[in-house]
Amino acid sequence: MDFTVLGGAIGEALTLQSFIGIGGGVLLGYMIGVIPGLSRSVAIAIAIPMTFYMSPYIAISFLIGLSKGTAAGSAVSAILLNAPGEASSAATALDGYPLAKSGKPKTALQVGLLASVFGDILATVILIFVAIPFARVALMFGPYEMAAILAFALVFIAGLSGGSLFKGLAAGGLGVLLATIGLDQQTGLPRLTFGVTELMDGLPLIAVAIGTLALSEMFVQSERLRLQRGTMSVKLEHRPDDRLRWPELRRLLPTMLRGTGIGTAVGALPGLGPSVGSFMSWGLAQKLSKTPERFGKGAPEGIAASESADNAVIPAALIPLFGLGIPGNVSAALLIGAFAIHGITVGPLLLRDDPEFLYSIFAGMILASLILLVIGWYGLRLFAQVTRVPPHVVIPVVIFFCLSGMLLQGYGTFGLIVLMAFAVIGYLMKKFGYSFVTFIVAFIITPMLELNLRQSIILSGGDWSVLLGRPIALVFIACTLVALLVLAWRTVRGAVGPAPAGD
Amino acid sequence: MPRQNFWSGLVVSAFALLALTWIIPEYAGSNPLAQMPPELVPNIAAWVMLVCGAIVAVGGLVGLVRAGESPLTFAIDWRGVAWAAWPFAYVAVAVWLLTMVKLTWLGVPLIALLLVLLGERRWWLVAVCSTVPVAALYVLSVYLMRVGVV
Repeated sequence: MDFTVLGGAIGEALTLQSFIGIGGGVLLGYMIGVIPGLSRSVAIAIAIPMTFYMSPYIAISFLIGLSKGTAAGSAVSAILLNAPGEASSAATALDGYPLAKSGKPKTALQVGLLASVFGDILATVILIFVAIPFARVALMFGPYEMAAILAFALVFIAGLSGGSLFKGLAAGGLGVLLATIGLDQQTGLPRLTFGVTELMDGLPLIAVAIGTLALSEMFVQSERLRLQRGTMSVKLEHRPDDRLRWPELRRLLPTMLRGTGIGTAVGALPGLGPSVGSFMSWGLAQKLSKTPERFGKGAPEGIAASESADNAVIPAALIPLFGLGIPGNVSAALLIGAFAIHGITVGPLLLRDDPEFLYSIFAGMILASLILLVIGWYGLRLFAQVTRVPPHVVIPVVIFFCLSGMLLQGYGTFGLIVLMAFAVIGYLMKKFGYSFVTFIVAFIITPMLELNLRQSIILSGGDWSVLLGRPIALVFIACTLVALLVLAWRTVRGAVGPAPAGD
Repeated sequence: MPRQNFWSGLVVSAFALLALTWIIPEYAGSNPLAQMPPELVPNIAAWVMLVCGAIVAVGGLVGLVRAGESPLTFAIDWRGVAWAAWPFAYVAVAVWLLTMVKLTWLGVPLIALLLVLLGERRWWLVAVCSTVPVAALYVLSVYLMRVGVV
């Protein structure tokens, strides 16, 4: 490791600008995370246009801080409202809400916050030590290996991010098809543009991301308002016995450590996501507990297990991103878009071409975790108030920011039409259970997949026997086929059950 | 769920079939000298959609047969459909208006009216929620990004 580069990176992370950018991201993320229904990906999609005027380092750190803040903030609404800000905090609500209702809301929030920060910092350290060697190995990969790995990641995400593999693959297919719109990279001929000049550059990523993730989610939320209104937040009151003490925290440390391990492993695998990590961790904590009957009734271990795993997933999901340039989940996919907007190619080449930038981001991530602890600890009362904001107030404001995000990027009417079209597509996907995560990831990685596939075809001259000399590519092709078969079998078995009672 | 699967699978397959038979041959372009034809990746994607859509549709149909139900139903909650559709119409009209008026000028009535339609009646909340985001956009576009009023 070059210590001059490392020193420069730490220096950049400790500037006032960096503190403001990262702190702003964490604070905004915490606020958004507290509001039920506004997820991490929605927050990142809306925030990307706000980063256009920032330097690349501040922009990426701001978005990563935002991501961390949302994950920690979603625990607040899970604990006080029993309405998790994100699906991944549903496991936190199992014990958090009963503990809050029993008169210890502050203790529940403090356990949630400390577990979040613990999982986050430890997973960031693991990311730093794993991603760099990973990237060094990945630098030796050629187009055969990259094409095979990308295809594997796509199948894996399609199978695991939603209920049905076939619906996931269909969504992925649509993402790939729509990503090929624009000028063909090799021939320079317009492809699927229907003679529309604006489509020569392809569909704008920001419009696709904001439409599919944020605007469509607002339509889903406004539909829910018909049946569900108002909030029932637990009030935070001054009680001397309602605070976390050191002996209790010490008892929770092994649970947090285990949760971080699970979250890191789950996050590093594409497609699994934080919900899987937090529920796995909660389940394991219950199984290993001497008093499993306390779980689900307000056990602090339950909150610690789920929150540490949930927050460990975020840095861990960046391992395939920084190591291979492959997004493991939708937030990482959006970060690729943000990197591209700021002129940076994320992946193993970043380590070779701009190591100082990469180390700055790592230092910024650690800083974000510490800021998260301070903001979360001292802002508990303020964030508890945010849970009282009703959803019907949030919807119009988010819709406004969706529209402004498009206009800030300068796409004008064309961008707004694309945004609206993808809001409809995203809404239908959510309504009919097609994985929008696979769709977005496929849309973002298709140019890379196509480039590597093209290079492979050109290098091999159409002779597929060259693959016999590429064992890594062969392993990933075999893994793709096995994953396809296993996930298809799982989907079919899941579908064959007792006759459903109808729609 | 089986009915939804049947119809959604059918729509996905129909779109993929349209792409394979008309959109891709007509608009994906072709170049005999290119080592990788430009229509290869769109074709693979459309085939994946066709096969997967068909499997989802068949799965839905099997579920319907097992439950003894018909794919068509007249028990549609039209009030629910209308409630789900009006926000789309609202934003579509806003997009149309934005072709003529800048968002910074349209923002306040856009947010305020939607708040009222969604049931908010506290005037001070409507006022704050509609002006603060617009002011933030103004500061962001004019002073921070320096792209002017959007």
